[in-house]
Amino acid sequence: MADHLYKEPILTLRDISMQFGGEVILRDISLDVLNVVRPGVSQGQVVGFYGRSGIGKSVLCRIIAGLLPPSTGTVLVADPQRPVCPGDVGFVQQRYPLFNHRTLLDNLLVAAGRKHSPADAKAKAEEFLTRFDLAPHRRKYPAMLSGGQRQRAAIAQQLLCSEHLIILDEPFSGLDIAMIDEVKKIILEVTTLDELNTVVIVSHDLATTTALSDTLWLLGPERDAAGQLLPGATISKKHQYNVADMGLAWQPGIQAKPAFVQLIEHLKDEIRKA
Amino acid sequence: MLKDLFVPNAKPRPSVFLTMVACQVLFLLLLWLFYPLQLFPTLGEVLASFKDLVTTQGLIQELWASLTTALGALAIATVLALLISYLTALPFFRPIAYAASKMRYLTLTGLTFFMALMLSSGHQVKLSVLVFGATVYLVTGMTSVILTTTQEEMDHARTLGMSEWRSFYEVVVLGKLDEMLEVVRQNFAIIWTMITLVETLYQSEGGIGLLLYKQNRYLHLAGVVAIQLVILGTGALQDYVFAFLRRMFFPYSELTVAK
Repeated sequence: MADHLYKEPILTLRDISMQFGGEVILRDISLDVLNVVRPGVSQGQVVGFYGRSGIGKSVLCRIIAGLLPPSTGTVLVADPQRPVCPGDVGFVQQRYPLFNHRTLLDNLLVAAGRKHSPADAKAKAEEFLTRFDLAPHRRKYPAMLSGGQRQRAAIAQQLLCSEHLIILDEPFSGLDIAMIDEVKKIILEVTTLDELNTVVIVSHDLATTTALSDTLWLLGPERDAAGQLLPGATISKKHQYNVADMGLAWQPGIQAKPAFVQLIEHLKDEIRKA
Repeated sequence: MLKDLFVPNAKPRPSVFLTMVACQVLFLLLLWLFYPLQLFPTLGEVLASFKDLVTTQGLIQELWASLTTALGALAIATVLALLISYLTALPFFRPIAYAASKMRYLTLTGLTFFMALMLSSGHQVKLSVLVFGATVYLVTGMTSVILTTTQEEMDHARTLGMSEWRSFYEVVVLGKLDEMLEVVRQNFAIIWTMITLVETLYQSEGGIGLLLYKQNRYLHLAGVVAIQLVILGTGALQDYVFAFLRRMFFPYSELTVAK
């Protein structure tokens, strides 16, 4: 019996293209993120998203989050699938934005209030404060929080109102090894909150991100049959990696295995080629 | 340490800093007392003139009259400027905010004439001139605060499922209220510079501006300096009150400021 199987779609990208002022940024991106079910395990999944700087990762993230309508194509979320609207997909940007004029508790309440009654929102916010180890800081303003606390708060805020999907833009950037371990713990915590929770990690830290991921996307340019570069970046079929099917997902200490090291080297080569 | 006073971004001890301020004030007073050229009235003359202004010319009452007029004008101008600035969210109103901002280059002299034609009482004309003058400066400051809103801030609100209006309210209205108060504080001074002009045009209600005008007209320089110092002190007190209000209502506003 297979150790995992795929069920309903969580996120679908169909023929996404994006142009700014006639310049093609993204071209023909089609992807499916399906609910991965593992017998006896209730856990969501992680998608690692790579690409060279300036290639269009942030543009694609904004499209997935419903913040930017693509020039062509559609993004579908939820079950049953429907076109994405702002608020469906959580998006934690690099500097972990929070409302600086609200206390931490207020920041979570304003997010929870979108889906819950005031009493339930309060309970949810309190639950998340405890779960993300932020309870002692509930009365603090964002400017009084450390970088790590701020990151956890931003993730908690987005989770409180999104539809199971959350994008983390460069969550490991500029962190020391202990902090990276902390963030990894948070990501695993997020995936264990709900079977359908899906975290898309945009990162340049290949080893850390791949070790957490079930699926990898590599955004880059493509060449035609004649070897000519096509305009715009895409995530071709060969650059959609199913890490679970490769047998490299959900294993502690995976980073030491030769197959994992090989995969990382392959990803580096592909990124360099791009 | 004294050398900290001349090191960039240094943080001298409060006692050292206060001593330095006291020395600077003392130096200015000594300069005033012993400056050889008697172009400026002496400290004694200014104090005597101040006493005379308070006891015989109703300086306190005139100051109160001007202060209430200034505060009234500021309140109306603030509401108007906030309205005009916030409406820039709608493209239809952006030219109005742009035009309002550019009107700060207009001179008030001709404007008072038109105001007088349109309004019936001197008080209304005085108030409307002050409101106009303050509004155009406030709109300039407030729209520049609004323009500091980043894509990241707006995206953050949208990712929480807020509508465009709700995002604007959360990020621009609530999020920048402390900065708007700062704009009001900075531009309150404009009203004091205009008050002399309007109080001399409509003299029936008096005011410290009119008192200043009379002292100047009869070359009572000691009186002029005394009144200017009173206005300076009032302005400093206003600044303190605004800073206090900002700390009280927006305690988060100073958390990110370099100290």
